[in-house]
Amino acid sequence: MTRKHPVDEELIKRLSELLDENGLTELEYGEGKWHVRVSRASGGSAVHVAAPTSSATDATSAGNAEETSAANIASHPGAVTSPMVGTAYSAPEPGAPAFIKVGDTVSEGQTLMLVEAMKTMNPIRAPRAGLVAQILVGNAAPVEYGEVLLILE
Amino acid sequence: MFEKVLIANRGEIALRIHRACKEMGIATVAVHSTIDADAMHVRLADESVCIGEAPPSQSYLNAAAIFSAATITNADAIHPGYGLLSENADFAQMVEEHGFIFIGPTADHIRMMGDKITAKDKMIELGVPVVPGSKGAVTEDKVARELAEEIGYPVLIKASGGGGGRGMKVANNPDEISHALSTARSEAKANFDNDEVYIEKYLGAPRHVEIQVMADSHGNVIHLGDRDCSLQRRHQKLLEEAPSPALNTEARAEIGGRVTKAIKKLGYLGAGTFEFLYENGEFFFIEMNTRLQVEHPVTEMITGIDIVREQIRIAAGLPMAYTQDDIAFTGHSIECRINAESPTTFAPSPGRIGDYHPPGGLGVRVDSGLYAGYQVPSHYDSLISKLIVHGKTRNEALMRLRRALHEYVIEGIETTIPLHQRLCENPDFVNGDYDIHWLEKFVGLK
Repeated sequence: MTRKHPVDEELIKRLSELLDENGLTELEYGEGKWHVRVSRASGGSAVHVAAPTSSATDATSAGNAEETSAANIASHPGAVTSPMVGTAYSAPEPGAPAFIKVGDTVSEGQTLMLVEAMKTMNPIRAPRAGLVAQILVGNAAPVEYGEVLLILE
Repeated sequence: MFEKVLIANRGEIALRIHRACKEMGIATVAVHSTIDADAMHVRLADESVCIGEAPPSQSYLNAAAIFSAATITNADAIHPGYGLLSENADFAQMVEEHGFIFIGPTADHIRMMGDKITAKDKMIELGVPVVPGSKGAVTEDKVARELAEEIGYPVLIKASGGGGGRGMKVANNPDEISHALSTARSEAKANFDNDEVYIEKYLGAPRHVEIQVMADSHGNVIHLGDRDCSLQRRHQKLLEEAPSPALNTEARAEIGGRVTKAIKKLGYLGAGTFEFLYENGEFFFIEMNTRLQVEHPVTEMITGIDIVREQIRIAAGLPMAYTQDDIAFTGHSIECRINAESPTTFAPSPGRIGDYHPPGGLGVRVDSGLYAGYQVPSHYDSLISKLIVHGKTRNEALMRLRRALHEYVIEGIETTIPLHQRLCENPDFVNGDYDIHWLEKFVGLK
């Protein structure tokens, strides 16, 4: 799902300059829910833009606008993708504990999360046994067809 | 006014709708299949939602996915474009049931005009001239034979659940009627899952002339003039012009008046097009399209009106910005539909666009989502661009069209541009002297 925001090129240029001028490896600038982080990887600086997350507070959610890692994630062999457009829920009902957390071992067929579409809850089941390496969507996050929900290793 | 509109379509029309929305300060949501992720309108839209795999049934015809996308993006309204779900009455109804506004007419009117028999009966009731034919469906040979005698051969057997020129068989004389009837019925069953057919007089050399209408929810109705879409191959339009070279001011005003009276009586909402066959100064209604049409730009060029903008305003409950007296027709406009096809064999030519350079200059408009490096997919219809020109006179428009076609560069795939170039050199076309059979003869001759 892409929610686009106008890119402030001037800001990013300035942050990169500050990074270089001051010999820093990482510099983050934010305003409210908006943060821009410029960091030095080997061979140059990389820019990460974090889009505002949904109203949920799940600390493991990562915005889909992280373009540098998006391509890697989508082709990861352990990627579990959403089979439909809808809203992802990490727990069976509000207030209940989440189905899984990072680091959990899951068995084949185990329910990992729910995607709600047209008022019906659809369980997303583990295609095989594995370890939950990353969870990419927060509770109540909108998801599109094919969106990567989590990585199982 | 809507804050956010979901565009339930793809290709050039999705871009067209996006542009109208942005000019009104409305945010856009582009739903798309996996293969359309890099489409121009998807890149430009404020938000995009992938709704399924490439096959239309899994994506653009997947109503559930479209509703989910509208829900998660909090869209206010859905514009269905043309084709796909735009004339699906059930979809229009479901849109409203889900609490979104459908930018188009009511489901009842879509349904009424979707059935070609009820549409025709309704037109008779509303005083719109129709093609002489059977009153309702025909199932028996004997009845067909009697009717054909009454109407006069040749006759056309048509599927009532069809449209867009599909499911039609000609019978030239009494010997052909039984066979035409039975093949028409079995084809209708195969194509539309409905073997109901009716009979009409077959017109020898008519032109296809259609009238654009618009109506709001405050009782205002207008017509925006005519378009001549006679140049068709297998009932697919290739080139359209406005106004029709065959009509004079009186004929235009007369038919315009008749159709606006009809939609006022009907209580129709939004944009619509009455399609007629026009022969020997007479109009014969064939069908009404309850949606935006591919060729709407030629009407926009001669009237200066943004039809998509008006559709959105009407759907938002606003009164139309124009009365009939405000509508003036200025100059002449021609549109070429450019398809990703061989210009001689019409074999599809999907693939990656190399160099791309659209024409420009005064009176030239290109409606297209193409760009250098874009991959034209094979899963959808082959229309990739519309080149529209406007001139003060038909001659000026023709010169401009010739010039613009020669500037247009689309490398990497085959397109129908060379065919349009040949058309521009043809004396019949230049003289505006053609009917609905003309183009097939022209391409047959090569």
